[in-house]
Amino acid sequence: MRNRSEAEFARLVDSLAADPHRRGELADLLREDHSWYEQRGTATIVRMRGWVLIALARTGVTDGTLLFILEELDNGVDAYLIAAAATALRAYPSPKAAFGPFLVNALQQIRYRDEPISFEAYGAYAMSGENTTAVRELVKTVAWLGPHARSVLPDLEALRSQSAGLSKELATALDQTLKAIKNNEVNEYGPAACCDLPSNLANKMSWLRNYRRSSRPIESAIFEDQDGTRFSFKEFFRGHPSIVVFFYTRCDNPLKCSLTVTKLGRIQKLIEQHGLDDRVNTAAITYDPDFDLPKRLRAYGRDRNVRMDARNRMLRATAGIDALARHFKLGINFIESLVNRHRIEAYVLDDEGRVAASFARLRWNEQEVIDRAVDLLRERDEEASSIDGSKHRAKGAPKKLALLGSIASVAVAFFPKCPICWAAYLSMFGIAGFNQIPYSPWLQPIFALVMAINLLSVWLRGWSTKRIIAPLIATTGALIILASRTVSGWEKLAVCGVLLTLAGSLLSAVTWRPRKSLAFFAKKSLMTG
Amino acid sequence: MPKKSAKPTRPQVRATETSLSVATDPKGRVADRVTAMAEASMTICEDDQSFRAVINVLRDPKEPFEVRNAALQALGAAAFRVIEFAPCRSDYIATLRALAEDRDPTLRRRALGTLAREKDGYAQKKLIEGLKNPDVALVSPEKALQFLSYDPHAEAYAIAREFVKKPPNDEAKAEALRLLAADPKSAPLFEKVLRDKDELRDNRQLAASALYSLNPGKFQKHARAMLLDKSEFEDIQATSLTALAQFGDQEAVGKDEPLLKGIQKLGAKTRSAKYKKNARQFLARHGR
Repeated sequence: MRNRSEAEFARLVDSLAADPHRRGELADLLREDHSWYEQRGTATIVRMRGWVLIALARTGVTDGTLLFILEELDNGVDAYLIAAAATALRAYPSPKAAFGPFLVNALQQIRYRDEPISFEAYGAYAMSGENTTAVRELVKTVAWLGPHARSVLPDLEALRSQSAGLSKELATALDQTLKAIKNNEVNEYGPAACCDLPSNLANKMSWLRNYRRSSRPIESAIFEDQDGTRFSFKEFFRGHPSIVVFFYTRCDNPLKCSLTVTKLGRIQKLIEQHGLDDRVNTAAITYDPDFDLPKRLRAYGRDRNVRMDARNRMLRATAGIDALARHFKLGINFIESLVNRHRIEAYVLDDEGRVAASFARLRWNEQEVIDRAVDLLRERDEEASSIDGSKHRAKGAPKKLALLGSIASVAVAFFPKCPICWAAYLSMFGIAGFNQIPYSPWLQPIFALVMAINLLSVWLRGWSTKRIIAPLIATTGALIILASRTVSGWEKLAVCGVLLTLAGSLLSAVTWRPRKSLAFFAKKSLMTG
Repeated sequence: MPKKSAKPTRPQVRATETSLSVATDPKGRVADRVTAMAEASMTICEDDQSFRAVINVLRDPKEPFEVRNAALQALGAAAFRVIEFAPCRSDYIATLRALAEDRDPTLRRRALGTLAREKDGYAQKKLIEGLKNPDVALVSPEKALQFLSYDPHAEAYAIAREFVKKPPNDEAKAEALRLLAADPKSAPLFEKVLRDKDELRDNRQLAASALYSLNPGKFQKHARAMLLDKSEFEDIQATSLTALAQFGDQEAVGKDEPLLKGIQKLGAKTRSAKYKKNARQFLARHGR
């Protein structure tokens, strides 16, 4: 796409905006990793993304594109993009109280770095003070919110009371807006509503254990940490849940990389306070591994109070960022090896190095990230106790089953053929009073069924433990019993059949081990430190 | 109690008002206007009318260069007071953009320099266009490269490499190398420049510093080779010695017998007292 010009991009955006059936594609153009953004400078990307936002301002903003707009207001530092986002937000179907904090935040960020803006044509730069500015567009959007901005009224008043930072014209506009908000009697938006984003909008995603992407493709990826120590993805990220953030030292947006790594330092402190520092790993991985050598990683982490030790590392991927970008589906693009645009991203990995939760675009809350790591620990503990429980349940079962199966074999082998034989058998036990038990021919198929079940269980155990000697012995015994019952003159062999069945069943019960037991004990010992 | 920004007293305000009226009076003497402009710089943004008057002077090509230049400097000084200047910043940036295409080359250069420090997209676009097509260049290539080096995210690495290959002059090549000093892909280029004895010494020094930053291991290898190269220039060897002393792997260096002998020789043959001292200190550190 690099060979295609900015003018072509502008035409594409305009044509998508003009076509009601293709407007949805505008959201796709806001993905950082879109091929249109490859090998372009940051200023060019600002022009391109800004033009998409302006197209949204014309066509209307949906819930699908709202996150990109809030992202600019939340952590953008470029006046053009903030102005475009503020303009676009007014094209959302209805004002919402949840937008208030984003607007206040953007006002606080940009008020000392305001710039003249022109939306007249693609790539136009304002040359006169008559043009609009980022602050002007933000104030207009606060006015659009009207009574919905009531929850951020104290912030807006505080902003207004600091006389510097706003021109007289803007101060007057803000005064009018504040008055309008205050005078509106409708107050259905209490403080609790201030932070609720539309329900279908979220900067965080979680995946259930069975739906997580395997980490196998990057298990052998080699990392180097802040001390120059090298190891594979598998070595560091498997065995424990991990919290991973991405950054690069040359990032010039203080609300992205610098803040992210600072927050990682705070996460580490919280993890320590929760007593989880030996159960959860943390890592900050650079997007710029060619430039961010160990010395730079160490200095960057140290300056932001990041703890660096065997469980907490600042990392660079020695073979480049491509494999990681694919695994984590990073929102990033490059000009040569340097990042030209990226989003905020933090991940929580499970003990197999798979992404279990991600926090992207909007600034995340440290406690929320830790909560997900704790969920993973709980998930692991539950899994471990479930294995443990089934192991305990299974412990005595094979032996009991083996005993029952063997009794059934004996019963089948020596079950009397007729009531007379039954009487003869019982007469032998007359002293014990067994002669009172009536002859029941239906008992024979039941004993045969129990014997068959025993045989099946012996085979299943043999299959599981990969030891088939016991099932073979038990099967031979069962076949001999059957033969002794059906072939005339073979009756005496029944004893041999019973002994073989008994030996096979007991051998199977003794050699029974759950397949996961070793892994379980390894995990258990790691868990308990 | 937090300190409030010092507000000018009444006589100061009057003095400033007078200065501004002198500075913006088209009929006044140039020297007086220049002096008045400097005096008014700290309060330019406190009053909309005064600010507008100074901006108008700066934008007006009919005004004398000296006065316009003084207005530009006064605004630049005022802009340092970020909070107080915030309401005026937008107009100031717009004016700088307009000035970037002014007929006067000094004002153009200063405006573009200020905008480049702000990482302004308009300035970067104009500078890159000028490097690609000298007919539309607003400043010299070496200035354009210097200004673009303020922002590593500008699209300038590829162009800078072209300028290293075919530089229009020595300054442009030096600026292109300086710009590439933050580009990991250019490490092989710096290795080449560093070892090229026909290259300007300044460029080789620059290459040494860039290579150390981008690939310290490679730099240490070259520094050792240059110290052992009898035909190498003394100042380059001295730079290599300093780099090894400051940033080298001391354990490896201490065991490197040929290198230590080479440094002994350098210390013995050099006439520079400074180099002798450096060599002596280096050897002493490793028990020689």
